[in-house]
Amino acid sequence: MEYETVLTTCPYCGCGCKYYIEVIDGEAKSVLPCKEDPISEGKLCIKGWNAIDFVYAEDRLTTPLIKEKGKFRKASWDEALDLVAKKFAELKQKHGSDAFGLLSSAKTTNEENYLMQKFARSVIVTNNVDHCARLCHASTVAGLAAAFGSGAMTNSSPEVEDADCILITGSNTTEQHPLIGSRIFRAKEKGAKIILIDPRAIQLSRFSDIHLRQRPGTDVAWINGMINVIINEGLADEKFITERTENFEELKEMVKDYTPERVEEISGIPKDDLIEAARMYATAGHASIIYSMGITQHTTGVDNVKSCANLSMITGNLGKSSTGVNPLRGQNNVQGACDLGALPNVFPGYQAVTNPEFREKFEKAWGMKEKIPDNVGLTVVEMVNEAAAGNLKCLYIMGENPMISDPDITHVRAGLENLEFLVVQDIFLTETAELADVVLPGTTFLEKDGTFTATDRRVQRVRKAIEPIGYSKPDWEAICEIAKRMGSKGFDFPSPKEIQDEIAKLTPLYGGINYDRLDELGYLQWPCPNTEHPGTVFLHKDKCSRGLGHFFAVEYKPPAELPDEEYPFTLTTGRILFHFHTGTMTRRSKKLHNDVPTGYVEINPLDAEDLGIKDGEKVSVSTRRGAIEVPAYVTKKVPLKTVFIPFHFRECAANVLTNPALDPTAKIPEFKVCACKIDAIGE
Amino acid sequence: MERVVRKKVKELLDSGNVIAVIGLKDELGKTTPYLFRRGDDVSKLKLSPHYPLATVARKLHKADPEYKFALLCRGCDERALIEMAKRNQIDLDGIMLIGIACDEKMARECNCAVPYPSCDDIIGEPLRDLELGDPYGEFKKMSTPEKLEFWKKQFLKCNKCYGCRNICPMCFCKECELENGLWLRKGRLPPDYPVYHLIRAFHLAGKCIGCGECEKACPAGIPLMTLNRLVRDDMKDLFDYVAGTDGENVNPLYTKEEF
Repeated sequence: MEYETVLTTCPYCGCGCKYYIEVIDGEAKSVLPCKEDPISEGKLCIKGWNAIDFVYAEDRLTTPLIKEKGKFRKASWDEALDLVAKKFAELKQKHGSDAFGLLSSAKTTNEENYLMQKFARSVIVTNNVDHCARLCHASTVAGLAAAFGSGAMTNSSPEVEDADCILITGSNTTEQHPLIGSRIFRAKEKGAKIILIDPRAIQLSRFSDIHLRQRPGTDVAWINGMINVIINEGLADEKFITERTENFEELKEMVKDYTPERVEEISGIPKDDLIEAARMYATAGHASIIYSMGITQHTTGVDNVKSCANLSMITGNLGKSSTGVNPLRGQNNVQGACDLGALPNVFPGYQAVTNPEFREKFEKAWGMKEKIPDNVGLTVVEMVNEAAAGNLKCLYIMGENPMISDPDITHVRAGLENLEFLVVQDIFLTETAELADVVLPGTTFLEKDGTFTATDRRVQRVRKAIEPIGYSKPDWEAICEIAKRMGSKGFDFPSPKEIQDEIAKLTPLYGGINYDRLDELGYLQWPCPNTEHPGTVFLHKDKCSRGLGHFFAVEYKPPAELPDEEYPFTLTTGRILFHFHTGTMTRRSKKLHNDVPTGYVEINPLDAEDLGIKDGEKVSVSTRRGAIEVPAYVTKKVPLKTVFIPFHFRECAANVLTNPALDPTAKIPEFKVCACKIDAIGE
Repeated sequence: MERVVRKKVKELLDSGNVIAVIGLKDELGKTTPYLFRRGDDVSKLKLSPHYPLATVARKLHKADPEYKFALLCRGCDERALIEMAKRNQIDLDGIMLIGIACDEKMARECNCAVPYPSCDDIIGEPLRDLELGDPYGEFKKMSTPEKLEFWKKQFLKCNKCYGCRNICPMCFCKECELENGLWLRKGRLPPDYPVYHLIRAFHLAGKCIGCGECEKACPAGIPLMTLNRLVRDDMKDLFDYVAGTDGENVNPLYTKEEF
């Protein structure tokens, strides 16, 4: 009998919990929390505890599939890979490189993301590579890079518990980042003040000292309002502003208009409450801002993020422990996918594609004869639009499910169906894979080696615990095979360890990261420029990545689509604890499915009464994009005239309804606000 | 003490009397459960932090009932094994216990009155007369309404990870009452107050052996050891019953029907 424990990193959220997989006779049997893991400390959420279930689900993709006459048939790897390589070469010849789009995956490893963008840039020769960060923290990457010079979480997750004040906005932390939620509870035990700004009465609202319920999409207004109060009451950190920032005068002038009275008009937050919150945040010794989708998923997402940066700089809460601006990244490796350049505007390490020096560096490193294009490529939603318009001919999608996660799903389907060739690489036949011409079976986190980067820049090992199921292959192997068959030389790696070594050579932020150091230290937080460097716990100490922190004077702009007579409700969408994103993994996990088998729409009791709707009754929710039927969950969690639908469920997919309006800089869709109407169906 | 244990484990394995020893090993700078075999490097054997090795034993026994092994066994591990055996979850005949006494630090961390197993050879000094402080602190001084408020605040932090149940050596029901939606609604966060935690506390009455793993596994920091200790105190006071101390006695809360 063989028994072993394998220490690996959770494939679900950005907390980055590590735990043991108990393997008996080659089969992964159970999860055992790791008491010495710095993030989880031996505690896990329900998803982490159930991370093995989906790996063994009956409908795992175990062989490649090729579509013929509208139906899938099984194929060997050789046949499928040859077909893909041949079609890619043909289409490149016929339509040019920019007719291609590649979607990398925030779920796969750093090594796989690196290879996907290397494939895009060196084999197809396009910058049209993107991934689902576009849908979640694209605003963060752009906004914080502009304000501080680095688009990542400034501090580390464990530090949260030592803050004197934590301002949480647009983050349902105990549900979405449970092991960071733990730190908030601990901070509270230690006497910290908790300020929550969220339209919904989420679990944290019971534990907050102040809960402000703003109208969805009014975040720039209330943040400017807080800054107005802080400046007027002399609570600003003059020393920090003078020594470490620029452009304060422009901001100071603009926020004069954001009086608490005006902010109350715009956001609905009572002015005295706003003043109290501002004072609470500004007078704390170490104050930390925690935010997530409620800030980013707006047409003003970048403005919202810049406003958060403004707030932290005004009070000098940057560059010291237990402070900062802390975006909680959703996916287990969305941070890594961004770090490793699976983005249309940057190479690994955020080196801009528009910079000829960087293009030359990578062309040389990758032994390229062709030149990498100097223009920024297409983003996720733009790729769908171009596909629908007939300009994008081919998409290679790895570990992404835009048919559930993108806004305006009807339009997504039209776009994908219009492609000449669609290749999807995934672990299950997802809603997106169903539309593919070729499906390649990838492996889960249990079946491969690699690294994930958690939300606090923490690079950690993923360790193989069991052999690949059926004929599935790790994603990195599949990408390499296609590249080799297209004649490329730079895809010969014996294992992910060597891929990481190549990454370290080309990516200054990851310069000192290798598997030996990760085995020895357990994790390394970037920036980690060389192998002597211990990693960086928090950023912007003494000075920001860009030197001086930049204040941006941003004015409030309303969301793209507000309620009107025809569609009188505000629809906001989001996640729940028990399921993860498009549900591919969690809905195949017995215990998670047991607790939440299908979706719902949260509706306020008074609204429900008006509409004659009872709890549990199926209702129709419709927007200008489409309509879905979904059970009603009558609850005071949502304010009047606002409804919430989690997006995980294909049978009542929230994204049939959402608005594909984008932030002009970050191109992130406005998932958090659109107009809808609710009708009783009488079932 | 680690040296003595390592020597004992090596001796056992070399003698061939046991095929494997369930212990803890230093790997990647952390301690993890490990199945030591003859020829393995026992210098890597560690004794802390504590992991519920009784559960590992139960899983291995379930996978292969014929498998003969030894295991590092602290007081709580032994109590867990005794209660498991009473419920036919494990056969103690095939298992050799290597008795380990907890040091003062560990004993005080768990506020454990019996930080050693009952076997004859115990490695380490069993702390038989340890003076423990009042485990309840401020809690017992509260009025009933204050206590209710206290527990309400604690239980409402719960995010239904089921960690307390998953890690508990005493939880092995194939169908768990917490999951069937009858007593508490599915998918609600926090779980319907106070049902989740009271079901666990009552189901553990006469079973809980005081290992404290539940509280250590709780991401919300709910003081589960306090809750379970209160029930354990009641079982002692009302029925003179202490779980894990006797291989024959039956939980007085069970009704036995004779036909």
